[in-house]
Amino acid sequence: MFNTNRQKIMDRTDILNQEWKTRRIQPVHIMTSVGSLRGTREVIPLKTLNAVASVPVMYSWSPLQQNFMVEDETVLHNIPYMGDEILDQDGTFIEELIKNYDGKVHGDRECGFINDEIFVELVSALSQYSDNEDDEEEEEHDFKVEKMELCTSDHHSVISALISLSVCLSVCLSVRYKELTEQQLPGALPPECTPNIDGPNARSVQREQSLHSFHTLFCRRCFKYDCFLHPFHATPNTYKRKNLENQVDTKPCGLDCYMYLVQVSQRSFIHSFIKYHSSVNCCSPSSVSVFTIFTSIKQMGGKNSSFVRGNSRCQTPVKMKLTGEAEAVEWSGAEASLFRVLIGTYYDNFCAIARLIGTKTCRQVYEFRVKESSIIARAPAEDEDTPPRKKKRKHRLWATHCRKIQLKKDGSSNHVYNYQPCDHPRQPCDSSCPCVTAQNFCEKFCQCSSECQNRFPGCRCKAQCNTKQCPCYLAVRECDPDLCLTCGAADHWDSKNVSCKNCSIQRGAKKHLLLAPSDVAGWGIFIKEPVQKNEFISEYCGEIISQDEADRRGKVYDKYMCSFLFNLNNDFVVDATRKGNKIRFANHSVNPNCYAKVMMVNGDHRIGIFAKRAIQTGEELFFDYR
Amino acid sequence: MSGASCKANGAVYPASSAMMNSVKKPKMEQIQADHELFLQAFEKPTQIYRFLRTRNLIAPVFLHRTLTFMSHRNGRTNAKRKTFKVDDMLQTVERMKGEVNLPLFIPSQNSENEQNSVSLEVLLVKVCHKKRKDVSCPIKQVPTGKKQVPLNPDSNQTKPGSHPSLLVSSNEFEPSNSHMVKSYSLLFRVSRTGRRDTNGLVNGEANENIDVTDTPSRKKRSSSHRDEGETTETFVAQMTVFDKNRRLQLLDGEYEVSMQGMEDSPVSKKRATWETILDGKRLPPFETFSQGPTLQFMLRWTGDASGKSTAPVAKPLATRNSESSSPMETRTSNHRAALMTVKESVSTDIQTRKEQVLCEPRQKLRIFYQFLYNNNTRQQTEARDDLHCPWCTLNCSKLYSLLKHLKLSHSRFIFNYVPHPKGARIDVSINECYDGSYVGNPQDIHSQPGFAFSRNGPVKRTAVTHILVCRPKRTKPSLSEFLESEDGELEQQRTYVSGHNRLYFHSDSCMPLRPQEMEEDSEDERDPEWLREKTATQLDEFTDVNEGEKEVMKLWNLHVMKYGFIADNQMNQAIMLFAENTGAHIIRRNLCRNFLLHLVSMHDFNLVSTATIDRAMARLRQIQEELPDIEEEQQDQTVVSAGACNGNAVTSTGGKQGKRTKSALTD
Repeated sequence: MFNTNRQKIMDRTDILNQEWKTRRIQPVHIMTSVGSLRGTREVIPLKTLNAVASVPVMYSWSPLQQNFMVEDETVLHNIPYMGDEILDQDGTFIEELIKNYDGKVHGDRECGFINDEIFVELVSALSQYSDNEDDEEEEEHDFKVEKMELCTSDHHSVISALISLSVCLSVCLSVRYKELTEQQLPGALPPECTPNIDGPNARSVQREQSLHSFHTLFCRRCFKYDCFLHPFHATPNTYKRKNLENQVDTKPCGLDCYMYLVQVSQRSFIHSFIKYHSSVNCCSPSSVSVFTIFTSIKQMGGKNSSFVRGNSRCQTPVKMKLTGEAEAVEWSGAEASLFRVLIGTYYDNFCAIARLIGTKTCRQVYEFRVKESSIIARAPAEDEDTPPRKKKRKHRLWATHCRKIQLKKDGSSNHVYNYQPCDHPRQPCDSSCPCVTAQNFCEKFCQCSSECQNRFPGCRCKAQCNTKQCPCYLAVRECDPDLCLTCGAADHWDSKNVSCKNCSIQRGAKKHLLLAPSDVAGWGIFIKEPVQKNEFISEYCGEIISQDEADRRGKVYDKYMCSFLFNLNNDFVVDATRKGNKIRFANHSVNPNCYAKVMMVNGDHRIGIFAKRAIQTGEELFFDYR
Repeated sequence: MSGASCKANGAVYPASSAMMNSVKKPKMEQIQADHELFLQAFEKPTQIYRFLRTRNLIAPVFLHRTLTFMSHRNGRTNAKRKTFKVDDMLQTVERMKGEVNLPLFIPSQNSENEQNSVSLEVLLVKVCHKKRKDVSCPIKQVPTGKKQVPLNPDSNQTKPGSHPSLLVSSNEFEPSNSHMVKSYSLLFRVSRTGRRDTNGLVNGEANENIDVTDTPSRKKRSSSHRDEGETTETFVAQMTVFDKNRRLQLLDGEYEVSMQGMEDSPVSKKRATWETILDGKRLPPFETFSQGPTLQFMLRWTGDASGKSTAPVAKPLATRNSESSSPMETRTSNHRAALMTVKESVSTDIQTRKEQVLCEPRQKLRIFYQFLYNNNTRQQTEARDDLHCPWCTLNCSKLYSLLKHLKLSHSRFIFNYVPHPKGARIDVSINECYDGSYVGNPQDIHSQPGFAFSRNGPVKRTAVTHILVCRPKRTKPSLSEFLESEDGELEQQRTYVSGHNRLYFHSDSCMPLRPQEMEEDSEDERDPEWLREKTATQLDEFTDVNEGEKEVMKLWNLHVMKYGFIADNQMNQAIMLFAENTGAHIIRRNLCRNFLLHLVSMHDFNLVSTATIDRAMARLRQIQEELPDIEEEQQDQTVVSAGACNGNAVTSTGGKQGKRTKSALTD
């Protein structure tokens, strides 16, 4: 039964195969049964592996969801290989390429045959084999090696001459080695480096020095230290504090609070002083700012019994010791530095400072403050040069802005310049302001006042911000979550459902894209879910390079017939060759289903890819490269 | 199924001379040029569909009877399932033992008729492989039997079961019996002794089984034998059972074969064409059936020798000549009744609807296929009298089913239905926007290795959810859906598998994307690993930033990258989250003061309020208290671990001496 069935299957398959052979379809193979009941011969199934369809060529690239600025390359990193025939035909191409880089090609030795790093490595490697010898001998070892190397390169007769040099050479080398290794000693940092405030070597330094690293490396636009996008960061000392929030706790923080030190003074005196002082200072009317006057008063009033409640957060034992005597407290370098940092922020809120320092009581802080009084700046007065804003003026501002945007649009200058926050203290943003000359709005990152005429005011839409009614949309800007407070751009950080449709790039609300071989050429990118017309699909990310660099790179890309360059503005180009995201695989079409739009997104130009029409599931994405 | 008979070779090649009848004196070149154009348009798709038909016969991908619009083809009920027992299978197998062979069973419809009968001899012809010495292929003829069959029987009178039948043993087809046999065919030889009067010659010429006898053209054909009235006239017809590729060509069914006189030797293979040439004139393909004698029979492959009694009754067959109206009438009515019993109410609905749409008085459908080509400027018409699909010979038995089938299975063409007084006209044109791309499950193409329907035993397949049952909302079947739409716009071709009919690849590894990975987007993470590493190394490169600062900066950068903060007003929230997430780490690593410096710096940039600093530091203290044994560790750390911290800094900065300085950045 089985065998006849089998026979039947075989026959059918034979028929099928014969037919398919003529049609060049791969034949079906029947696996012959091994355990055939009667069969004495062993039969082994033959398994054919079908050829796997090859995929288009892809050069490796790094995934990126945000642009990444890179510096110009001063040396040619590699000589591109494009097949022998091209090199044969066009030898001048490589020459020209090298000429672009002033003849510099990566891998050319910059210094001699041994540089500092290799030298140090060599000595430390050799020192492992000479345990009980001292440095001198190591140096000799080293010298011998040096000599040997020289020997191989130079002629033998030169050695004698070298040996005469050897004495001075060995001295030089040992000095150099010491120089190099001393830098590496633990804890020894270059002089310009502030010691770790949490470390044992913390020194007492000024506020600026403590915060220097944080101030200089922080990017106010990316909120990151040493960000990938903005090479130059403004330091905050020029930023103005808009809200003077140095509120001082009016209540003492505990039994031990320094306020009791102060409160013994005659009230009348204090009040008169406060009156005088508040006219200048605008501080909250508290007694603390008057310490300079009362430095001599170290007496404590006997009213402590009424203030016994209150939970002490100070770390000192709750034992009453409210004598007027200043305790002799040791202030470590770290604590002193920290105090100076905090005093610049909290001013005279000693309770808060003490809380933050953690190891000192407010009283100790207060006393230290008294000691340091000469060097510490007081709370800054309110900025005089900005008059308080007026409601009416703001309205007028708005109207002029809308007009201005329209004008800017109509002027249709094709040149779009990169935005750089302006910083010209005490000068309004006029024709000399870089923002104005570049025809950019001033952003929240600019150092000018928030009342600046050139500031973009944001929108007040209650709709989706996807029509020209929205000033942001009109100005080809995404809504700024710090300016546009009504449209929803500043809400719902967690969800993707934002009422404002004009903040997709900044939120990275891209669509899921899928990679597959294109129907047109090479790889293509396909959309997973259907999208509506004008919906945001993805940001075209890549390296941000200068126009010059783009010219140099473009020469190579043109030769490869494959370019991922995308003009961002007059200053920069996005290159998705090395770093990018999946949208880089979108192909060119004269009748595309997507379009690209360069938008100003929180001070950065970014490229958004949007749907030109409704796109169905699984469609390949195209946009017009031109 | 239907009363209409299958053509012997089932070949209806649309390229056959359709224009011939209309043009009186066609110039040869013109015809040829026109023919070329016609072929150009229709040849390729037709070939494809013919190939697919054959493949589907051998290895069906699906069964037509399972289609909704073909439900009438499903003559089986599942009533037996209720009483089914597994043991029954054994019984069936037992019974089948010994009768595994498949004898060829030919019940001929023709019953003994005392008035007029002819003798029919059926021979099995085996064409053997040519040996080297042979000039032509050796042929073996095996007689299988001889029967008297009635001549021109009255179809109404024939009784079921009364037809003579012949049985061809399947042994004859066993390959073991004759290895050399290349192909098998059945040779029908009908002989009739010429002892008849002239009347018989005039009236009932030697046409087997033709209901209508008085066709002048046929008489002309046979008149040549009139003189030799005494001799035996012999007509032969040959049908291939297995062709030389061992493909079975004769399937179960009712056949009508046109016979040819013994004298005109059967058309030699070399001259074989699709067209029939008679007296130097080409005939349309079906004309032969009205030109010469024909033989009707029913063929059944049977696995059961005793099936004779249960063999289905040969139904009276219809002729293609519309003159014979009375038998036709009965046929159609019978047919319809049969349909109604099988089908449910919906299909009867179709039936009646169809009747309304069509012209009522007509008994029989004639379907005109009008082939439009050369930018719809030219046309050829071909008529068929049955509801078989011209491409795959599938009997659709209903006009609606036929149209639906054409539209769905032969989408390389566009079919438009036009009602016609005699039946239906179907305009056939080439579908210019035919999208031949694969619309099945992409995983089926690419699942490694190879085949979706492997015959090689088990194949590892990717786990995919296939929709096995889908009950979409169906509109009531109506012929109007095949009418050409007015607005001219072709109805949007629905893709049946939505969108993703291709295999996707991972953008990083170029490996095929498995269906279970479809949902995860490689771009969902805002901070790819290399970028996280990059930000750390970039900070490490600074020589004038101390290790505590670096560590806090790195932590903060990773935090920002992870959450992608974009607005100033998110910063307070971000700081609190930072304290929450990394607080424990900061305490363990003894970085509290650096953390505080970071907060103050943020405050200096006017991004956070002092209240946030207070809250964040309070949270940190709280975490510190919650941490077990942190106090002791803290004690140790202040003494010992600071060194460890520095030691760590050395390892991180050691290799990157003097790369960058922060002061350079501000210049």
